[in-house]
Parts: sequence; structure tokens; C-alpha cells
Amino acid sequence: MTPAWTILSAFAGALLVLLLPARLAGASRLVALIASILGAVAAGVACLERLAHPDAAVWESNREWIPSLGARLHFAADGLSLALLFLTGVVAIAGVLFSWNVNTRPRAFFALFMTIIGGVYGVFMSRDAFLLFVCYEIVILPKYLLIAIWGSTRREYGAMKLTMYSIGASALILVGLAVAYAAAGGTSFEIAYLASVKYPLALQAWAFPILFLGFAVLAGMWPFHTWAPTGHVAAPTAASMLLAGVVMKLGAFGALCVAMPLFPQGFEQWSTSIALLAVIGILYGALTALAQQDLKFVIGYSSVSHMGFILLGMAAATHWGLRGAVLQMISHGVIAGLLFGIAGRVVYERTHTRDLNELKAFDLWKTLPGAALAFTLATAASMGLPGFSGFVAEISVAIGLWQTYPWLVPPVALGIVITGAFSLRAMHKAFFPERNVGDAPPPTLPPLTGSEKSAIALLLAVSISIGIYPKPWVSLIDEGLRSPLFQSILAHP
Amino acid sequence: MNVSALFMQLLPEAVLVITALVLLGVAVATERKTGRSFSVGSATGIAASGILLALLALGRVPSETAGSSLVLLDSMARLGKGVVLALGLLAVLLPPGQKEIREPGEVLALMLFALTGLLLATGTNHLLFLFVALELASLSLYLLAGFSRSARAAEASLKYFLFGGVSAAFLLFGLSWIYGFSHAATLTDVALALKSGVSPLAMAGLVMVLVALGFKLAAAPFHYWAPDVYQGAPATSVALVSAASKAAGLVVLIRFLQIGFAAVDGSAAWGSMSAGWSLWLAVLAAVSILFGNVLALAQSSVRRLLAYSAVANTGYLLVGICANAPASTGAALFYVVVYGLATLGALSLTASVERHQGNDSPQAFAGLVHHSPLQAVALLIFMASLAGIPPFAGFVGKFAIFSTAMAGTIRGEGSGITWLVGLASVMSAVSLYYYLCILKEAFVKESAEVRSDRLSPGHALAIGIPAVALVVLGLFPSLLLDPIARAVAESLAAR
Repeated sequence: MTPAWTILSAFAGALLVLLLPARLAGASRLVALIASILGAVAAGVACLERLAHPDAAVWESNREWIPSLGARLHFAADGLSLALLFLTGVVAIAGVLFSWNVNTRPRAFFALFMTIIGGVYGVFMSRDAFLLFVCYEIVILPKYLLIAIWGSTRREYGAMKLTMYSIGASALILVGLAVAYAAAGGTSFEIAYLASVKYPLALQAWAFPILFLGFAVLAGMWPFHTWAPTGHVAAPTAASMLLAGVVMKLGAFGALCVAMPLFPQGFEQWSTSIALLAVIGILYGALTALAQQDLKFVIGYSSVSHMGFILLGMAAATHWGLRGAVLQMISHGVIAGLLFGIAGRVVYERTHTRDLNELKAFDLWKTLPGAALAFTLATAASMGLPGFSGFVAEISVAIGLWQTYPWLVPPVALGIVITGAFSLRAMHKAFFPERNVGDAPPPTLPPLTGSEKSAIALLLAVSISIGIYPKPWVSLIDEGLRSPLFQSILAHP
Repeated sequence: MNVSALFMQLLPEAVLVITALVLLGVAVATERKTGRSFSVGSATGIAASGILLALLALGRVPSETAGSSLVLLDSMARLGKGVVLALGLLAVLLPPGQKEIREPGEVLALMLFALTGLLLATGTNHLLFLFVALELASLSLYLLAGFSRSARAAEASLKYFLFGGVSAAFLLFGLSWIYGFSHAATLTDVALALKSGVSPLAMAGLVMVLVALGFKLAAAPFHYWAPDVYQGAPATSVALVSAASKAAGLVVLIRFLQIGFAAVDGSAAWGSMSAGWSLWLAVLAAVSILFGNVLALAQSSVRRLLAYSAVANTGYLLVGICANAPASTGAALFYVVVYGLATLGALSLTASVERHQGNDSPQAFAGLVHHSPLQAVALLIFMASLAGIPPFAGFVGKFAIFSTAMAGTIRGEGSGITWLVGLASVMSAVSLYYYLCILKEAFVKESAEVRSDRLSPGHALAIGIPAVALVVLGLFPSLLLDPIARAVAESLAAR
């Protein structure tokens, strides 16, 4: 079972779901689940093999595609890619499980869902810039349709805003890639080749911000983050999980593995600005989350804050920083998926409100104790408490930051404190409300279903396992970071 | 060159003319005999088989590399003719509505004449012959635009004709100046004359020719006819104008600039701009891209929207030409095919929706996914391809144009035409908004009534073939990109 199974299973799943006859529409969720499991298992097995044989050759598939442009179908999976593939697989499974109750047009829903998953797998494995961009863009229309058709609060507005931000960012990426391609002679889109060319300093100085910004918008960099909370709130649960969990990571991945290696000197010139924007994002996202009344908006803004850590780790450009950035990608992917799953599916589907004040009436810790427990654990993970993945990731970023920008550590520490504040506030208000004696008794709510329980358990297990035993993840990531691609950007190897 | 060889080279055109004449004769005879007009089905059948025969003939005609400049069949001409015929075939398949048009025989015969003109224009180096060929096509198109008996169509036809007449005057005047400068009637001789020196006379002539060709291609600011024609003319005619005519116009433009006037290309690169057609085309492209996309945002008629999108897309094509590099020229040729397919499909779909709903506002598409899932998927393919979203061919086309145009102009520390490509790329992102507004109606909105849209076989083909082609070319662009690259390399090698 090679990593190619991830892409194949996702797209085959999408196609199969579409081809199901109308009377078997209900089976589409099963097909999607099997396809997601297949992808996750393929990624997991490949991760284990990589850990067992760290010196073995990286799996690779390199075929001719468009010779007149120099674009090739070049996929490869080193440790870094594998870790992200596994994350995608896990979030995909959880997403399908959390959407088990989708009954309107289920075939279209799961086909679009699996298409996004396939595109994400493709990006994480692409070694050709053209191919990467194709996979990156494939997710745009499915994102729009998922939100606009199955979404909730202001879904058409949220979907359009998110899509326009994505495509606008893609326009910048296209220009940046075209500059690199043209300046490298116009013969190849191979990322390794493009990164090996020494571009003139003046060119790097203006080309880098174009390319980086294109990716960073999708990674939710302040002040280009506003699509994220709006879009994530409008999206149906599975789509919010995917968007915050893995699609935002596409931006971070592109910035780390394409923008920075292509124009390392341009990056050097701009890294302080990136670090500043990242820190503003951390603080701004956390403060805004503190003021939200809608539970999903709290999570949406917390994503902006957490994504700031990824950008910060990259801007630090040390080994610790990059490692922390990738760890945070994985950690936030799992935690955001979990939080959105609980808020969007478990709570909202039962209470039909996400307003923190209105949730008071439901007294959720008594009526839905399972959800309260899960949300408490997820909150703890999100706050970066030891024992959860968030701690490992954020401490790595902080160490990296200390090496490069020690003066930025205090504001980041402040950000972590505010993160604690908004997380506790939301958890407290939503699940553990203070109730007066005279309040009406809370209505009884249906207990957690099997699919919800298994999705929660899966995501929590991954977060806790990283938190307790990060070594395999760290060695996978370190293996990827040893690639020649990153040597030009590492300030303190 | 002897007469029989000349005739052999013109075999595709001859087949078209003969078919058109037969069609006219049969139509008139049937009408005399039965008193009713010729049926759309049989007229379409005759015209389509004529075009297929012409395509077949094109494949059989031997290449004449040392042909006369009057009629030449180099690899670019062969490619251009093939593309024009294929796109023309799809336009012919789109059946004119019985209510709209009472004389299908005449309409289709005119379409064949227009195609003949376009074919001749793609395969000539001779200035005067080029003019005659383009006018043959244009005169047929003016008539076609006004063929349905509505006030809108009359307005469209008149506007098209008036603007077209002025542009023809520009073309002829420009050509006469070029002749005055070079004393040569063919592009290869003009190129020779330019090598020994450039005069303002030739440049003024070139500008006038660019204005005329800008009109044919609907480049802003010479696009004012387009929205009215797209809205008022019968769908069949619009399909021909938007796809086949644009492809032929692009081949003519390439031949004219990159073979005839290759010596005076100037530069559009930022910081080192110099006068020449490269710079002028870049300005034309920038204006078209801005105008087309911004005005398309405000349209409430899908046909008008497609007209402004045509203006914007002409801009993208010009980006590819202005770089004056074989790779980007090839990319532009690839894109004109892909764009033609997408816009043809979108027009056919709009025509079908219009027939059921009575209007072509985006709201008429509401709930299409429930009435006809396959049409909705086709719409998705066309809109995504026009907006440049993978895995459809429009994406490859745009990406290829932008990256190869940059590769053709970027030098050392200079930024080449990044300014233009950046503008094009950002405005192309903006264009997704108006395409999405149509998709939103089709996929997100529910419509009150329950109905199922039935398509005529012609319509189904005119929608289905482009949709499939866009997917196939999106996944395997080399199928078309490689032959184009070879043809461009061969044709431009001679300069």
C-alpha cells in the first residue's frame, strides 16, 4: 500500500459516490467512510514504514504530463508529507463520521467532501509546482458548494467571501510561480529545480512577498484572515472541520515548502514583517475570540490565533521553529476539527443555537455530559496544556522564536494567556453555566450517537498521543526538514 | 504552382461552398414544393456533414510548404483551419429555434460561407486576399446576427455592421499604408522591407490594422458591438462569432505580427518599454481585461455577461501574443480553442435555459441541478473552465499563457510583463465572482416548479461535446498543446 492510495481512494470515493443510483443514496456515507479509512490507513502504514526504515528511499512517482510546459506528475512522500497525509486522513474520517446525519443530497455532499480530501492529499505530495497548484485549486469549487448548499448562518455570503479570498490568493500564487518559472528559464516546474536556481536579489525582494502572501492568505495571516471565521461559521460541520483542520494547512504548507525555499533571500528580507504579522494575528485572534457570542465564531477566531503560531515558527526560520510550525499544523488540524465537530454537530444539531447565552438554558454538562467532557479536553488541548499536542507544538515554536526574535516572546506569552481566557470563557458559558434556583429545568437532549463518539475518540486520541509521545512525529518531521529544500532558509540548523 | 495543386489546397473551402450552395438549393426547392420551410434537422444535418467532409479533406490535403503566398497551408494554417472547422461544427449543431428563425436553410448556408471566409483568412500571407477573406466572413456574420425577426436582433445586426464597416475601412486603409511603405503585397515581403528600415508609414498602417483586428476579436475599447450582438443575435450566430471567428482572428493576428512585423515588436517589459506592437497589444490586453471583467460584474443577462467575458478573454489571449515568444503564442492558441469550447457550451446551455424560461437572467438558471443534473454539471464545467479552475482545460490555458508570457519577457533582474500578468491573474480571480453567481443559482437556489428539461439532440451535442472536451483537455493538455507547439515552431521558424 503506497501513499498513492491516499489520492486514489479519495477521488475514487468521490466518483463512486456520484455514480451511486438514487435509491442507494444513503450508502454514500458508507462509501465515503471506507474511502477515508483507506486513505488514512495508507498514510498511517507509510508513516510506520518510514519510522522503521528512516534511511530507505522516499516513495516517489514521477511521470511525464505536459512536456511543452515542463510540468510533470511528480508525487513524493517524505516524512513531513506523510505526517500531514495522516492528519488529513484522520480529519477526513472524523468529518465523515460527524456528517453521518446529512440527508439532503448526500451523494453530492460526500462527493464534494472527498474531492476536497483528494486535492489536499495531492498538495501535500506534489513535488511539481504546477501540479501542486492544480491540486490546490481543485478544492475551491467544492468548498464553495459545500458551504453555500449545506451551510448555516449567512451561508451564501460566507461561501462567496471565502471563495473570493481563496481565488484572489491563488492569483498571487500563480504570479509568484510564473515569475520563478520564467526566471529559471521557463523549462520546468519541478520545485527542487526552481529552488536550486539563484534568483537575482532584486527579483526575490518583490517576488517573495507575492508568492508568500498568496499562500499566507489561505493560512489565515492577519489582516487577510477575515474569510476564515465567516466561512468556517457558515460551513456545515464537516466542511468547517476540513477547512480549519486541513485546508488552512495547505496555505501554511505552500508557504513553507514552496515560497520560502524558492526565494530564500527574499524571505530573509521579509521574515521580520511576517513574524510581526503572525504575532498580531495571535493576539488579535485571541482577543476577538474573547468577545464572541457565537460558539463557532470563538473557534473560528481561535483558529486565526493558532495559525499565527505556524507562521511565527516559519518566520523564526530555525530548526525548532519549522518543526514547531509543522507540529502546530498537525495539532491544530486535529483540535480545530474536534472543536468544530462538537460545536457544529453535537451541540448545534441538538440545541439549534450556538449563542453562548442561550446555551445556558440547556445546562449542557448535565444534559450532554459526554460532549461536555470532550469539549473540556479539546479546550485543554487548544489552550496548549501539557499532555496534549498543542503544548508540544507551541513550546517548539517558542523555542524557535527565542533563537531568532527573543523580543517577540513576551507578546506571544500574552497571547497564550488570552487563549486560556477565551477558551475557558467559552467552555464555561457553553457547558458549565451558572444557573439560578428558579430557572426552568433544561430539556432532555438525545445522547451522543456512535458516530459522534467514535469521531471524538479518534481526534482526541491523536492529540493526546502527540502530547504524550511526540517522538515519532518529531522524527518524521525532522526527516522531512533535512531535505535540501530547507537548508537555504534555516538560520540556525 | 499549378491550378490543380491550388484547388487541392482549397479543397476544404470548396467543400464548404458546395455544401452551402446545395443547402440553399434544396431549401428553396423544398419551400417551393411544400410551401413550408425546410426542417431544421435536415438543414443541420447537411451543414454538419459538409463541415465534417471539409475536416476530412483538410486531413487529406498534402502540405505545400513552398506554396504561393495567396493560399498557403503551413502547419499553423492547417491547425487554424482544423480549429475553426471544429468550433464551427459545434456552432452549427446548435439548432436555431423554429420561432426565432424561419429560414434554417439560409442561416446554415450563411454560416458555411462565414466559415469559408474564416478558413481562407487563416491560410494566407497576402494582404489583399486577407482583406477579402475577412470581409467574406464578416458580411455573412452581419447577416447572421440579424436573422431572427426581433428588434433586438435588428439593433445587434446594425451595430455590428456599422462598427464592422468602420473597422473594415481601417483595415483596408492600414493595409494600403503598409503597401505604400513596402511595395509588397505579402507579409513575408513586408518583413523583408522592414529589415532594411522602418518608417512611420508602416507603423501607422500597423496601428490601423491592429484597430481592425481588435474589433474582430472584441478587444476593448473596440468591443462595443459585442454585448448587443451576444444578446440580440440568434444563439447559433453568437456561437460562431464567439468561438470560430475568434480563433481565426487570433491566427491572423499572429501571422500578421509575428511573421510580417516581427522586426518592430518593441517591448512591454516594465522599466524597458519601447514602442512597437508588443507594447500596444499589452495596453489593449490590460484595457480589455479591466473593462471586460468589471463590466461583466454588473450584467443581469447571461448572454451580455458572456460578451464581456469574451472581451476579458481576448485580453488574456493578447497577453500571450504580446510576449512574442513561440511558447506563449502556442499557449494563446491553446487557450482560444479551450475558451471557444467553454463559451460555446455556455451559450448553448443559456440558449436551452432561455427556451424553457423565456429569459437569460442568472435567475433563470435557478434549480437547474434539480431539473437536469447533467446540464448543471456541464454548466459547472464551462464556468469553472472560463474562470480558470482545474481540473478543466481553461485553467491549463490561462496558466500556460501567463507563465510562458513571463518566460518570454523576464530578463535578469527585470520584471518583464509581470505587471500585465499580475493584472490578468487578479482580474481572472475577480471573474470567478460572476461565474459563481450563475453557478449559485443553478446549484444552491431551489426553484418552485418541478420540471424536467428535455434537450434536442443538437443541443445535447453542442453542450456535451465541449464539456467532455474540456475535461479531457484539462487532464491531458498535451493532446492539443503538443501539436500546437510543433505547428507554431514550424511556422515561426521561417521568420
